[in-house]
Amino acid sequence: MNAVPQLFFDAAALGGIYAMAALGIALIFGVMNLVNFAHGEYIAFCVFALIVPSSDAVAVMFLGKAPAILLIPVLLALGALIAVTSEYLVFRQLRNANPVAMMISSFALGFVIQNALLAVYGSRPKAISLWPDLNTPISVVGASVPLLQLIVIITTLLVVSVLALLLKKTRVGLEMRAAAENFTMARLLGVRANVVITGAFALSGAMAAAVAMIMVTQTGVADVRMGGQIMLVAFIATVIGGLGSLPGAVAAGFLIGAVSVVLQAALPLDARPFRDAFLYTLVIVSLLLRPQGLFASASAKPRV
Amino acid sequence: MTKLGVYDLEVRYGKVPALGGVTLHLQEGERLFVSGPNGAGKSSLLKAIAGAVSSSHGRVELDGDIITGKSAEAIARYGLSMVPEGRDIFSTLTVEENLRVGTGIRADKQAIEGDISEIYDAFPILGERRHANAGALSGGQQQMLAIGRGLMTNPKLMMVDEPSLGLAPNIVDQVYDTLVALQQERGLTLLIVEQSSARAARVGGRMVLLRGGQVVGDGDAAEFAKRDLLKEAYFGQADQSKSMEEAL
Repeated sequence: MNAVPQLFFDAAALGGIYAMAALGIALIFGVMNLVNFAHGEYIAFCVFALIVPSSDAVAVMFLGKAPAILLIPVLLALGALIAVTSEYLVFRQLRNANPVAMMISSFALGFVIQNALLAVYGSRPKAISLWPDLNTPISVVGASVPLLQLIVIITTLLVVSVLALLLKKTRVGLEMRAAAENFTMARLLGVRANVVITGAFALSGAMAAAVAMIMVTQTGVADVRMGGQIMLVAFIATVIGGLGSLPGAVAAGFLIGAVSVVLQAALPLDARPFRDAFLYTLVIVSLLLRPQGLFASASAKPRV
Repeated sequence: MTKLGVYDLEVRYGKVPALGGVTLHLQEGERLFVSGPNGAGKSSLLKAIAGAVSSSHGRVELDGDIITGKSAEAIARYGLSMVPEGRDIFSTLTVEENLRVGTGIRADKQAIEGDISEIYDAFPILGERRHANAGALSGGQQQMLAIGRGLMTNPKLMMVDEPSLGLAPNIVDQVYDTLVALQQERGLTLLIVEQSSARAARVGGRMVLLRGGQVVGDGDAAEFAKRDLLKEAYFGQADQSKSMEEAL
Protein backbone atom coordinates (compact mmCIF):
# COMPACT_ATOMS: atom_id res chain seq x y z
CA MET A 1 0.00 0.00 0.00
CA ASN A 2 1.23 3.41 -0.93
CA ALA A 3 0.91 5.91 1.93
CA VAL A 4 1.11 9.21 0.11
CA PRO A 5 -1.68 8.71 -2.46
CA GLN A 6 -3.77 7.17 0.31
CA LEU A 7 -3.35 10.30 2.41
CA PHE A 8 -4.15 12.43 -0.57
CA PHE A 9 -7.44 10.70 -1.27
CA ASP A 10 -8.44 10.72 2.40
CA ALA A 11 -7.66 14.40 2.67
CA ALA A 12 -9.41 15.34 -0.56
CA ALA A 13 -12.55 13.40 0.34
CA LEU A 14 -12.82 14.81 3.87
CA GLY A 15 -11.93 18.27 2.62
CA GLY A 16 -14.55 17.99 -0.09
CA ILE A 17 -17.31 17.46 2.46
CA TYR A 18 -16.08 20.41 4.52
CA ALA A 19 -15.76 22.55 1.43
CA MET A 20 -19.32 21.87 0.31
CA ALA A 21 -20.73 22.56 3.77
CA ALA A 22 -18.65 25.76 4.03
CA LEU A 23 -19.83 26.86 0.61
CA GLY A 24 -23.43 26.59 1.77
CA ILE A 25 -22.69 28.94 4.65
CA ALA A 26 -20.55 31.36 2.65
CA LEU A 27 -23.26 31.77 -0.02
CA ILE A 28 -25.79 33.03 2.51
CA PHE A 29 -23.25 35.17 4.31
CA GLY A 30 -22.26 36.71 1.01
CA VAL A 31 -25.71 37.97 0.14
CA MET A 32 -27.11 38.87 3.53
CA ASN A 33 -24.28 38.99 6.07
CA LEU A 34 -25.89 36.17 7.99
CA VAL A 35 -24.03 33.19 9.41
CA ASN A 36 -26.82 30.66 9.22
CA PHE A 37 -26.18 28.34 12.15
CA ALA A 38 -29.18 26.25 11.14
CA HIS A 39 -27.23 25.00 8.12
CA GLY A 40 -26.05 21.90 9.99
CA GLU A 41 -29.67 21.10 10.81
CA TYR A 42 -30.59 21.29 7.12
CA ILE A 43 -28.06 18.49 6.67
CA ALA A 44 -29.56 16.43 9.49
CA PHE A 45 -33.05 17.05 8.12
CA CYS A 46 -32.03 15.71 4.72
CA VAL A 47 -30.48 12.63 6.31
CA PHE A 48 -33.65 11.83 8.23
CA ALA A 49 -35.80 12.44 5.18
CA LEU A 50 -34.26 9.22 3.84
CA ILE A 51 -35.94 7.02 6.45
CA VAL A 52 -39.47 6.28 7.62
CA PRO A 53 -40.46 8.51 10.55
CA SER A 54 -40.40 6.35 13.71
CA SER A 55 -38.45 6.18 16.93
CA ASP A 56 -37.38 2.54 16.39
CA ALA A 57 -33.68 1.78 16.63
CA VAL A 58 -33.59 0.17 13.22
CA ALA A 59 -34.07 2.57 10.38
CA VAL A 60 -36.44 1.60 7.61
CA MET A 61 -35.63 3.26 4.33
CA PHE A 62 -38.27 5.56 2.96
CA LEU A 63 -36.95 8.01 0.41
CA GLY A 64 -33.67 6.08 0.69
CA LYS A 65 -35.29 3.14 -1.11
CA ALA A 66 -35.66 5.10 -4.30
CA PRO A 67 -33.12 4.58 -7.07
CA ALA A 68 -30.28 7.09 -7.07
CA ILE A 69 -31.50 8.76 -10.24
CA LEU A 70 -34.69 9.72 -8.41
CA LEU A 71 -33.30 10.04 -4.90
CA ILE A 72 -30.57 12.56 -5.68
CA PRO A 73 -32.72 15.23 -7.36
CA VAL A 74 -35.56 14.77 -4.86
CA LEU A 75 -33.25 15.15 -1.87
CA LEU A 76 -31.50 18.16 -3.41
CA ALA A 77 -34.91 19.73 -3.97
CA LEU A 78 -35.93 18.89 -0.41
CA GLY A 79 -32.80 20.57 0.96
CA ALA A 80 -33.53 23.63 -1.16
CA LEU A 81 -37.12 23.59 0.03
CA ILE A 82 -36.35 23.57 3.75
CA ALA A 83 -33.77 26.33 3.31
CA VAL A 84 -36.12 28.52 1.26
CA THR A 85 -39.00 27.86 3.66
CA SER A 86 -36.93 28.82 6.67
CA GLU A 87 -35.83 31.98 4.89
CA TYR A 88 -39.45 32.85 4.22
CA LEU A 89 -40.70 32.06 7.72
CA VAL A 90 -37.80 33.38 9.77
CA PHE A 91 -35.16 35.49 8.06
CA ARG A 92 -37.47 37.46 5.78
CA GLN A 93 -39.36 38.68 8.84
CA LEU A 94 -36.05 39.95 10.24
CA ARG A 95 -34.72 41.43 7.01
CA ASN A 96 -34.24 44.87 8.51
CA ALA A 97 -33.24 43.68 11.95
CA ASN A 98 -29.78 43.83 13.47
CA PRO A 99 -27.46 41.15 11.98
CA VAL A 100 -26.91 39.79 15.49
CA ALA A 101 -30.65 39.26 15.89
CA MET A 102 -30.66 37.30 12.63
CA MET A 103 -27.73 35.16 13.76
CA ILE A 104 -29.40 34.37 17.09
CA SER A 105 -32.61 33.46 15.32
CA SER A 106 -30.63 31.09 13.09
CA PHE A 107 -29.56 29.29 16.27
CA ALA A 108 -33.19 29.19 17.36
CA LEU A 109 -34.25 27.84 13.97
CA GLY A 110 -31.58 25.16 14.28
CA PHE A 111 -32.92 24.10 17.67
CA VAL A 112 -36.47 23.97 16.33
CA ILE A 113 -35.45 21.69 13.45
CA GLN A 114 -33.29 19.53 15.72
CA ASN A 115 -36.04 19.10 18.29
CA ALA A 116 -38.63 18.38 15.65
CA LEU A 117 -36.38 15.57 14.42
CA LEU A 118 -35.89 14.44 18.01
CA ALA A 119 -39.63 14.30 18.59
CA VAL A 120 -40.31 12.29 15.46
CA TYR A 121 -37.27 10.02 15.28
CA GLY A 122 -36.12 9.72 18.90
CA SER A 123 -32.67 10.55 20.21
CA ARG A 124 -30.86 7.25 19.50
CA PRO A 125 -28.54 7.25 16.51
CA LYS A 126 -29.77 4.85 13.85
CA ALA A 127 -27.85 2.58 11.58
CA ILE A 128 -28.72 3.43 8.05
CA SER A 129 -27.28 1.97 4.93
CA LEU A 130 -27.41 4.09 1.81
CA TRP A 131 -25.54 2.80 -1.21
CA PRO A 132 -23.28 0.41 0.83
CA ASP A 133 -21.58 -0.75 -2.36
CA LEU A 134 -19.87 2.60 -2.62
CA ASN A 135 -17.67 1.77 0.36
CA THR A 136 -16.01 -1.11 -1.48
CA PRO A 137 -12.36 -0.18 -1.86
CA ILE A 138 -10.86 -0.07 -5.29
CA SER A 139 -7.22 0.34 -6.14
CA VAL A 140 -6.08 3.67 -7.56
CA VAL A 141 -2.38 4.48 -8.09
CA GLY A 142 -1.35 2.07 -5.37
CA ALA A 143 -3.86 3.31 -2.82
CA SER A 144 -6.93 1.47 -1.69
CA VAL A 145 -9.72 3.97 -2.07
CA PRO A 146 -13.40 3.45 -1.37
CA LEU A 147 -15.37 4.31 -4.47
CA LEU A 148 -17.27 6.85 -2.38
CA GLN A 149 -14.13 8.87 -1.76
CA LEU A 150 -13.61 9.21 -5.48
CA ILE A 151 -17.25 10.16 -5.89
CA VAL A 152 -16.95 12.76 -3.13
CA ILE A 153 -13.90 14.30 -4.75
CA ILE A 154 -15.48 14.35 -8.17
CA THR A 155 -18.80 15.62 -6.81
CA THR A 156 -17.11 18.43 -4.94
CA LEU A 157 -15.18 19.52 -7.99
CA LEU A 158 -18.36 19.24 -10.05
CA VAL A 159 -20.47 21.22 -7.56
CA VAL A 160 -17.82 23.91 -7.25
CA SER A 161 -17.43 24.25 -11.00
CA VAL A 162 -21.16 24.24 -11.68
CA LEU A 163 -21.60 26.88 -8.99
CA ALA A 164 -18.75 28.93 -10.41
CA LEU A 165 -20.30 28.70 -13.89
CA LEU A 166 -23.71 29.61 -12.52
CA LEU A 167 -22.29 32.65 -10.76
CA LYS A 168 -20.13 33.65 -13.69
CA LYS A 169 -22.41 33.05 -16.66
CA THR A 170 -26.01 33.55 -15.62
CA ARG A 171 -28.02 36.68 -14.94
CA VAL A 172 -28.99 35.61 -11.41
CA GLY A 173 -25.36 34.69 -10.75
CA LEU A 174 -24.23 38.17 -11.75
CA GLU A 175 -26.90 39.66 -9.49
CA MET A 176 -25.81 37.41 -6.63
CA ARG A 177 -22.18 38.45 -6.93
CA ALA A 178 -23.15 42.10 -7.12
CA ALA A 179 -25.47 41.72 -4.14
CA ALA A 180 -22.80 39.86 -2.19
CA GLU A 181 -20.46 42.79 -2.56
CA ASN A 182 -22.90 45.65 -2.02
CA PHE A 183 -26.53 44.78 -1.50
CA THR A 184 -27.82 48.35 -1.35
CA MET A 185 -26.08 49.32 -4.58
CA ALA A 186 -27.40 46.23 -6.33
CA ARG A 187 -30.94 47.10 -5.28
CA LEU A 188 -30.48 50.68 -6.51
CA LEU A 189 -29.75 49.12 -9.88
CA GLY A 190 -33.02 47.21 -9.76
CA VAL A 191 -31.71 43.86 -8.54
CA ARG A 192 -34.60 42.18 -6.70
CA ALA A 193 -33.54 41.36 -3.15
CA ASN A 194 -36.02 38.53 -2.75
CA VAL A 195 -34.97 36.74 -5.91
CA VAL A 196 -31.29 36.86 -5.00
CA ILE A 197 -31.83 35.80 -1.40
CA THR A 198 -34.22 32.98 -2.30
CA GLY A 199 -31.74 31.78 -4.91
CA ALA A 200 -28.90 31.79 -2.41
CA PHE A 201 -30.94 29.83 0.14
CA ALA A 202 -32.04 27.30 -2.47
CA LEU A 203 -28.44 26.69 -3.56
CA SER A 204 -27.28 26.53 0.04
CA GLY A 205 -30.01 24.02 0.94
CA ALA A 206 -29.22 21.84 -2.07
CA MET A 207 -25.60 21.84 -0.98
CA ALA A 208 -26.68 20.70 2.50
CA ALA A 209 -28.55 17.81 0.88
CA ALA A 210 -25.45 16.81 -1.08
CA VAL A 211 -23.41 16.79 2.13
CA ALA A 212 -26.12 14.75 3.82
CA MET A 213 -26.01 12.01 1.16
CA ILE A 214 -22.24 11.78 1.34
CA MET A 215 -22.11 11.69 5.13
CA VAL A 216 -24.76 9.01 5.40
CA THR A 217 -23.11 6.79 2.84
CA GLN A 218 -19.76 7.23 4.52
CA THR A 219 -20.71 6.83 8.18
CA GLY A 220 -23.88 4.71 7.91
CA VAL A 221 -25.40 6.59 10.83
CA ALA A 222 -28.31 8.97 11.17
CA ASP A 223 -27.91 11.05 14.31
CA VAL A 224 -30.04 14.03 15.28
CA ARG A 225 -26.90 15.79 16.50
CA MET A 226 -24.84 15.20 13.38
CA GLY A 227 -25.48 18.71 12.04
CA GLY A 228 -23.67 20.46 14.87
CA GLN A 229 -20.29 18.90 14.25
CA ILE A 230 -20.10 19.49 10.51
CA MET A 231 -21.51 22.98 11.03
CA LEU A 232 -18.66 23.80 13.41
CA VAL A 233 -15.98 22.74 10.95
CA ALA A 234 -17.75 24.39 8.03
CA PHE A 235 -18.15 27.63 9.95
CA ILE A 236 -14.47 27.64 10.82
CA ALA A 237 -13.67 27.02 7.16
CA THR A 238 -15.74 30.04 6.08
CA VAL A 239 -14.00 32.22 8.68
CA ILE A 240 -10.52 31.05 7.76
CA GLY A 241 -11.34 31.41 4.08
CA GLY A 242 -12.48 34.97 4.64
CA LEU A 243 -16.19 35.35 5.43
CA GLY A 244 -18.25 35.77 2.30
CA SER A 245 -15.53 34.61 -0.08
CA LEU A 246 -16.73 31.55 -1.98
CA PRO A 247 -13.33 30.43 -3.33
CA GLY A 248 -11.95 31.06 0.16
CA ALA A 249 -14.55 28.78 1.73
CA VAL A 250 -13.76 25.97 -0.70
CA ALA A 251 -10.01 26.30 -0.25
CA ALA A 252 -10.25 26.47 3.53
CA GLY A 253 -12.58 23.45 3.58
CA PHE A 254 -10.01 21.41 1.69
CA LEU A 255 -7.23 22.78 3.89
CA ILE A 256 -8.95 21.76 7.11
CA GLY A 257 -9.67 18.33 5.69
CA ALA A 258 -6.06 17.92 4.64
CA VAL A 259 -4.60 19.12 7.93
CA SER A 260 -6.85 16.88 9.95
CA VAL A 261 -5.97 13.81 7.84
CA VAL A 262 -2.25 14.60 8.01
CA LEU A 263 -2.43 15.12 11.77
CA GLN A 264 -4.24 11.81 12.12
CA ALA A 265 -1.41 10.09 10.27
CA ALA A 266 1.56 12.01 11.64
CA LEU A 267 0.73 12.42 15.31
CA PRO A 268 2.18 9.85 17.73
CA LEU A 269 -0.38 7.23 18.69
CA ASP A 270 -0.90 8.62 22.20
CA ALA A 271 -1.65 12.08 20.88
CA ARG A 272 -4.15 11.03 18.22
CA PRO A 273 -7.23 11.26 20.44
CA PHE A 274 -6.36 14.96 20.78
CA ARG A 275 -6.12 15.53 17.05
CA ASP A 276 -8.88 18.14 17.08
CA ALA A 277 -7.09 20.10 19.80
CA PHE A 278 -4.07 20.35 17.50
CA LEU A 279 -6.30 21.23 14.57
CA TYR A 280 -8.06 24.04 16.42
CA THR A 281 -4.75 25.35 17.74
CA LEU A 282 -3.72 25.78 14.12
CA VAL A 283 -7.03 27.52 13.46
CA ILE A 284 -6.30 30.00 16.28
CA VAL A 285 -2.78 30.59 14.97
CA SER A 286 -4.08 31.22 11.46
CA LEU A 287 -6.67 33.68 12.74
CA LEU A 288 -4.03 35.48 14.82
CA LEU A 289 -1.82 35.85 11.78
CA ARG A 290 -4.54 36.65 9.24
CA PRO A 291 -7.73 37.74 11.00
CA GLN A 292 -9.30 38.73 7.66
CA GLY A 293 -9.00 35.13 6.48
CA LEU A 294 -6.31 33.26 4.59
CA PHE A 295 -7.76 33.79 1.16
CA ALA A 296 -9.36 37.22 1.49
CA SER A 297 -8.04 39.48 -1.24
CA ALA A 298 -6.15 42.56 -0.16
CA SER A 299 -8.74 44.86 -1.72
CA ALA A 300 -11.70 43.19 -0.05
CA LYS A 301 -13.55 45.42 2.35
CA PRO A 302 -14.01 44.24 5.93
CA ARG A 303 -17.47 42.78 6.12
CA VAL A 304 -18.08 42.16 9.79
CA MET B 1 -43.55 69.06 -17.16
CA THR B 2 -42.53 68.21 -13.61
CA LYS B 3 -40.26 65.18 -13.58
CA LEU B 4 -39.53 64.97 -9.89
CA GLY B 5 -41.52 66.49 -7.06
CA VAL B 6 -40.27 66.32 -3.50
CA TYR B 7 -42.74 67.50 -0.88
CA ASP B 8 -41.82 68.21 2.74
CA LEU B 9 -39.47 65.20 2.83
CA GLU B 10 -38.06 64.24 6.22
CA VAL B 11 -35.35 61.70 7.06
CA ARG B 12 -34.24 60.68 10.53
CA TYR B 13 -31.39 58.40 11.56
CA GLY B 14 -32.71 57.22 14.90
CA LYS B 15 -33.60 60.45 16.62
CA VAL B 16 -31.19 62.57 14.61
CA PRO B 17 -32.94 64.49 11.84
CA ALA B 18 -30.93 64.51 8.62
CA LEU B 19 -33.51 66.11 6.39
CA GLY B 20 -36.14 68.41 7.84
CA GLY B 21 -38.88 68.95 5.34
CA VAL B 22 -37.36 69.52 1.92
CA THR B 23 -39.55 70.59 -0.97
CA LEU B 24 -38.19 70.90 -4.49
CA HIS B 25 -39.22 70.40 -8.10
CA LEU B 26 -37.32 69.29 -11.12
CA GLN B 27 -38.57 69.85 -14.68
CA GLU B 28 -38.07 67.28 -17.41
CA GLY B 29 -34.66 67.66 -19.05
CA GLU B 30 -33.49 70.08 -16.37
CA ARG B 31 -30.10 70.06 -14.66
CA LEU B 32 -30.21 70.77 -10.94
CA PHE B 33 -27.22 71.11 -8.65
CA VAL B 34 -27.62 70.49 -4.94
CA SER B 35 -24.99 72.16 -2.82
CA GLY B 36 -24.34 72.81 0.84
CA PRO B 37 -21.87 72.16 3.63
CA ASN B 38 -21.09 68.71 4.99
CA GLY B 39 -24.00 67.31 6.96
CA ALA B 40 -26.50 69.51 5.14
CA GLY B 41 -28.45 66.44 4.08
CA LYS B 42 -27.47 66.28 0.40
CA SER B 43 -26.74 62.56 0.35
CA SER B 44 -29.72 61.82 2.60
CA LEU B 45 -31.96 63.64 0.14
CA LEU B 46 -30.70 61.52 -2.76
CA LYS B 47 -30.90 58.30 -0.79
CA ALA B 48 -34.43 59.04 0.37
CA ILE B 49 -35.58 59.82 -3.18
CA ALA B 50 -33.99 56.58 -4.46
CA GLY B 51 -35.42 54.49 -1.63
CA ALA B 52 -32.06 53.54 -0.12
CA VAL B 53 -33.16 55.08 3.21
CA SER B 54 -36.75 55.45 4.30
CA SER B 55 -38.28 58.84 4.93
CA SER B 56 -40.22 59.57 8.09
CA HIS B 57 -42.50 62.15 6.52
CA GLY B 58 -43.32 63.68 3.17
CA ARG B 59 -43.76 62.47 -0.37
CA VAL B 60 -41.74 61.95 -3.54
CA GLU B 61 -43.40 61.93 -6.95
CA LEU B 62 -41.78 60.78 -10.17
CA ASP B 63 -43.78 61.62 -13.30
CA GLY B 64 -46.76 62.09 -11.01
CA ASP B 65 -46.45 58.60 -9.47
CA ILE B 66 -45.90 58.52 -5.73
CA ILE B 67 -42.73 56.50 -5.10
CA THR B 68 -42.36 57.20 -1.39
CA GLY B 69 -42.09 54.02 0.67
CA LYS B 70 -41.31 51.83 -2.33
CA SER B 71 -38.17 49.69 -2.29
CA ALA B 72 -35.02 50.82 -4.09
CA GLU B 73 -35.39 48.04 -6.67
CA ALA B 74 -38.97 49.12 -7.41
CA ILE B 75 -38.00 52.78 -7.75
CA ALA B 76 -35.25 51.84 -10.21
CA ARG B 77 -38.03 50.41 -12.40
CA TYR B 78 -39.73 53.81 -12.49
CA GLY B 79 -36.70 55.09 -14.40
CA LEU B 80 -34.65 56.58 -11.60
CA SER B 81 -30.97 55.85 -11.29
CA MET B 82 -28.56 56.90 -8.61
CA VAL B 83 -24.77 57.16 -8.70
CA PRO B 84 -23.84 57.25 -5.03
CA GLU B 85 -21.12 59.18 -3.28
CA GLY B 86 -17.93 57.13 -3.20
CA ARG B 87 -19.11 55.41 -6.38
CA ASP B 88 -19.79 51.99 -4.81
CA ILE B 89 -18.35 50.12 -7.74
CA PHE B 90 -18.57 46.32 -7.53
CA SER B 91 -14.83 45.85 -7.22
CA THR B 92 -14.86 42.05 -7.60
CA LEU B 93 -16.80 42.25 -10.87
CA THR B 94 -15.29 43.18 -14.21
CA VAL B 95 -15.96 46.56 -15.78
CA GLU B 96 -18.47 45.10 -18.21
CA GLU B 97 -20.21 43.04 -15.54
CA ASN B 98 -20.66 46.24 -13.54
CA LEU B 99 -22.39 47.77 -16.54
CA ARG B 100 -24.67 44.75 -16.91
CA VAL B 101 -25.92 44.51 -13.32
CA GLY B 102 -28.55 47.17 -13.92
CA THR B 103 -29.82 45.84 -17.25
CA GLY B 104 -32.09 43.23 -15.68
CA ILE B 105 -34.96 45.71 -15.39
CA ARG B 106 -34.94 46.77 -19.02
CA ALA B 107 -37.65 45.77 -21.45
CA ASP B 108 -35.58 46.73 -24.51
CA LYS B 109 -33.02 43.93 -24.29
CA GLN B 110 -31.87 44.44 -27.88
CA ALA B 111 -30.70 47.97 -27.07
CA ILE B 112 -28.36 46.85 -24.26
CA GLU B 113 -25.33 46.02 -26.41
CA GLY B 114 -25.66 49.32 -28.25
CA ASP B 115 -25.78 51.21 -24.95
CA ILE B 116 -22.69 49.44 -23.70
CA SER B 117 -20.71 50.42 -26.79
CA GLU B 118 -22.05 53.96 -26.45
CA ILE B 119 -20.62 54.12 -22.94
CA TYR B 120 -17.30 52.75 -24.21
CA ASP B 121 -17.35 55.51 -26.83
CA ALA B 122 -17.97 58.14 -24.18
CA PHE B 123 -15.31 56.69 -21.86
CA PRO B 124 -12.79 54.85 -24.07
CA ILE B 125 -10.70 53.76 -21.08
CA LEU B 126 -13.62 51.62 -19.87
CA GLY B 127 -13.74 49.86 -23.22
CA GLU B 128 -10.04 49.14 -23.07
CA ARG B 129 -10.39 47.67 -19.60
CA ARG B 130 -13.76 45.98 -20.03
CA HIS B 131 -12.50 42.61 -18.76
CA ALA B 132 -10.42 44.01 -15.90
CA ASN B 133 -11.64 43.87 -12.32
CA ALA B 134 -13.34 47.15 -11.54
CA GLY B 135 -11.44 47.32 -8.24
CA ALA B 136 -8.23 47.86 -10.23
CA LEU B 137 -9.52 51.09 -11.83
CA SER B 138 -8.34 54.53 -10.73
CA GLY B 139 -10.73 56.85 -8.93
CA GLY B 140 -11.60 58.77 -12.06
CA GLN B 141 -12.19 55.60 -14.05
CA GLN B 142 -14.40 54.28 -11.26
CA GLN B 143 -16.45 57.48 -11.40
CA MET B 144 -16.86 57.02 -15.15
CA LEU B 145 -17.87 53.41 -14.59
CA ALA B 146 -20.37 54.42 -11.90
CA ILE B 147 -21.99 56.90 -14.29
CA GLY B 148 -22.00 54.36 -17.11
CA ARG B 149 -23.51 51.77 -14.82
CA GLY B 150 -26.17 54.24 -13.72
CA LEU B 151 -27.08 54.87 -17.37
CA MET B 152 -27.42 51.17 -18.15
CA THR B 153 -30.77 50.98 -16.36
CA ASN B 154 -31.95 53.40 -19.08
CA PRO B 155 -33.12 56.02 -16.58
CA LYS B 156 -35.19 59.13 -17.23
CA LEU B 157 -33.84 60.79 -14.11
CA MET B 158 -30.28 60.30 -12.92
CA MET B 159 -28.95 61.49 -9.57
CA VAL B 160 -25.19 61.79 -9.19
CA ASP B 161 -23.74 62.34 -5.71
CA GLU B 162 -20.52 64.39 -5.81
CA PRO B 163 -18.99 63.24 -9.08
CA SER B 164 -16.00 65.51 -8.47
CA LEU B 165 -15.10 64.01 -5.10
CA GLY B 166 -11.42 63.10 -4.95
CA LEU B 167 -10.78 63.61 -8.66
CA ALA B 168 -8.19 65.74 -10.45
CA PRO B 169 -9.70 68.89 -12.05
CA ASN B 170 -9.10 67.75 -15.64
CA ILE B 171 -10.84 64.44 -14.91
CA VAL B 172 -13.76 66.33 -13.36
CA ASP B 173 -14.02 68.37 -16.59
CA GLN B 174 -14.13 65.18 -18.59
CA VAL B 175 -16.80 63.64 -16.36
CA TYR B 176 -19.00 66.76 -16.60
CA ASP B 177 -18.51 67.12 -20.36
CA THR B 178 -19.70 63.57 -20.81
CA LEU B 179 -22.63 63.99 -18.42
CA VAL B 180 -23.81 67.08 -20.30
CA ALA B 181 -23.39 65.40 -23.68
CA LEU B 182 -25.29 62.32 -22.53
CA GLN B 183 -28.02 64.49 -21.07
CA GLN B 184 -28.58 66.32 -24.34
CA GLU B 185 -28.42 63.14 -26.35
CA ARG B 186 -30.90 61.21 -24.22
CA GLY B 187 -33.10 63.95 -22.82
CA LEU B 188 -32.07 62.96 -19.32
CA THR B 189 -33.07 64.90 -16.24
CA LEU B 190 -30.06 65.35 -13.96
CA LEU B 191 -29.75 66.02 -10.25
CA ILE B 192 -26.13 66.48 -9.21
CA VAL B 193 -24.60 67.08 -5.80
CA GLU B 194 -21.71 69.53 -6.26
CA GLN B 195 -19.92 71.47 -3.55
CA SER B 196 -18.32 74.02 -5.84
CA SER B 197 -20.64 76.77 -7.11
CA ALA B 198 -17.93 77.81 -9.57
CA ARG B 199 -17.92 74.35 -11.08
CA ALA B 200 -21.73 74.25 -11.22
CA ALA B 201 -21.81 77.68 -12.88
CA ARG B 202 -19.33 76.56 -15.51
CA VAL B 203 -21.43 73.52 -16.33
CA GLY B 204 -24.61 75.58 -16.09
CA GLY B 205 -27.94 74.89 -14.45
CA ARG B 206 -30.14 75.65 -11.49
CA MET B 207 -28.79 75.32 -7.97
CA VAL B 208 -30.43 74.51 -4.67
CA LEU B 209 -28.57 75.20 -1.46
CA LEU B 210 -29.18 72.92 1.52
CA ARG B 211 -28.24 73.68 5.08
CA GLY B 212 -29.16 71.84 8.26
CA GLY B 213 -31.48 69.59 6.28
CA GLN B 214 -33.42 72.44 4.72
CA VAL B 215 -33.50 74.35 1.44
CA VAL B 216 -32.05 77.80 2.10
CA GLY B 217 -31.49 78.98 -1.46
CA ASP B 218 -32.67 78.29 -4.99
CA GLY B 219 -31.49 80.00 -8.15
CA ASP B 220 -29.13 80.03 -11.09
CA ALA B 221 -25.78 78.42 -10.32
CA ALA B 222 -24.00 81.42 -11.86
CA GLU B 223 -25.58 83.73 -9.26
CA PHE B 224 -24.29 81.58 -6.42
CA ALA B 225 -20.85 81.50 -8.01
CA LYS B 226 -20.77 85.30 -8.36
CA ARG B 227 -21.61 85.79 -4.70
CA ASP B 228 -18.98 83.26 -3.65
CA LEU B 229 -16.37 85.02 -5.76
CA LEU B 230 -17.21 88.35 -4.16
CA LYS B 231 -16.88 86.81 -0.70
CA GLU B 232 -13.55 85.37 -1.63
CA ALA B 233 -12.28 88.72 -2.88
CA TYR B 234 -13.15 90.39 0.41
CA PHE B 235 -12.34 87.67 2.92
CA GLY B 236 -9.71 85.59 1.18
CA GLN B 237 -9.78 81.91 0.38
CA ALA B 238 -12.72 80.88 2.57
CA ASP B 239 -14.28 77.50 2.66
CA GLN B 240 -16.51 77.51 -0.36
CA SER B 241 -19.63 76.05 1.12
CA LYS B 242 -19.37 78.24 4.20
CA SER B 243 -19.06 81.40 2.17
CA MET B 244 -22.06 80.35 0.13
CA GLU B 245 -24.10 80.18 3.30
CA GLU B 246 -22.95 83.58 4.43
CA ALA B 247 -23.82 85.06 1.09
CA LEU B 248 -27.46 84.38 1.75
